Amino acid sequence: MEPRDERGLDLHCQCILDEYREMLPVFQKMQEIVVQQLRECLGRFNILVTAVEARVKSEPSLIGKLQLKGRKYRTLADLTDIVGARVITFYSDEVDKIAALAEDVFEVDRQNSVDKRKMHELDSFGYMSLHYICRIPESLYHDPAHPEINEYRFELQMRTALQHVWANINHDTGYKTGVEVPHEHLRSLMRLAGILELADEEFSRLRRQITDYRRKVQGLVSSGDFSEVRLNGDTFRSYLAIHPFERLTGRMAAINQAEVTPGPVYAYLPLLQDMGFRTLADVEAMKAEYAEEAYQLALHQLGGTDLDIISDTLPLQNLCVCRLLAHGAGELELARFFEGVNGPGPYNMAQARRTMALYASLHSNKS
Amino acid sequence: MNVQIEQNENQYRVAPAGRLDTNSAPQFQEALEPLMQAVQAHVTVDCSGLEYTSSQGLRLFLMLQKSLSKNGGSLVLTDMQPAVKEVFDITGFSNIITIR
Repeated sequence: MEPRDERGLDLHCQCILDEYREMLPVFQKMQEIVVQQLRECLGRFNILVTAVEARVKSEPSLIGKLQLKGRKYRTLADLTDIVGARVITFYSDEVDKIAALAEDVFEVDRQNSVDKRKMHELDSFGYMSLHYICRIPESLYHDPAHPEINEYRFELQMRTALQHVWANINHDTGYKTGVEVPHEHLRSLMRLAGILELADEEFSRLRRQITDYRRKVQGLVSSGDFSEVRLNGDTFRSYLAIHPFERLTGRMAAINQAEVTPGPVYAYLPLLQDMGFRTLADVEAMKAEYAEEAYQLALHQLGGTDLDIISDTLPLQNLCVCRLLAHGAGELELARFFEGVNGPGPYNMAQARRTMALYASLHSNKS
Repeated sequence: MNVQIEQNENQYRVAPAGRLDTNSAPQFQEALEPLMQAVQAHVTVDCSGLEYTSSQGLRLFLMLQKSLSKNGGSLVLTDMQPAVKEVFDITGFSNIITIR
């Protein structure tokens, strides 16, 4: 029998361990490059993930592996998970997207890569994850002093957050430690895996539906067909993106050749909803009906001053004021509106009174 | 224009007095400069002594708010005289800057 050291490693395994110690800085550099490349790539394609993580296998972990199956490896290069990276996504369809990016960035060793998602039988569930064995190509990074960086392989795992949860729980239950877990517990674990797989698919499906809905709304908004578009956070944002108050803002700014500074126009959404607006067509109707009055209000407020800066919230503020007053709002209601746009404070009632007085004088001049 | 600034840790109380217009704006800006650099500074501007503000004043308050918020701080304007508050109201600045 071949002599073994105190850790139970034979000479062959000891050589692998020595090589590991010598190459540790190389592996650390590889880890750094892989994480940096993955993050850059995800950022470039605007893919939001739960985590990008990486590690270099620790010495005790390597020793453990060598103790178990050291003879399987001819050299350290045969161990493909000394550097391991993992990308955890929110959605299952993003796993494939990240795999495609990884194929572009790294050199994938297809023969040794495994798509564990496809390894299941029809009636079984479990650990589902995509594992690529990769190399860092010279075109990506090359250091003549350390050609090993392009020679050693690393493992890249891509999985969803739910797959990650299942994998961790599965690991935590000791399923893989060799201790026999009773059949009913294993069955419960597998049933949970099934639920998580279903949840992953549902999340992806829901996201696709929401994206389709948003696209449809954006199409309706940009085509100017507002009647079917319900007023909500998404639609109001799309509506604001087409600058619906630009003309009125321009007229108000022209009063004193003012600079227009951006304000919280989006914050008007709950107020519009409180005013009973249900669709974007309601907002458009207000604009069509009260734009002139809103302008006149601004003209009489700003006209006698030399104030040459206004907020881009001013058109919508004046439109709402004119509509509220035309619909018979009193001081209290108007003050409540100002509280909604300015926040609470002792001044809202005074602003309401002043605005009502000006509005009344504009109407009396008209009649 | 006279500007007083009191500091208690990261809480600042700024009290401008007089008219804030084209002539006095550079002096006010100079007084605010350290606050614009401060990290997590929470600034209260006591406007009780402020008699008037021009567009230049509005621009300075806006600049102060942006700097403070970029550095994790906040800005609140208090005790405004009616004429000054009216300037904020008719320009829509009451929507942008917190006034208590």
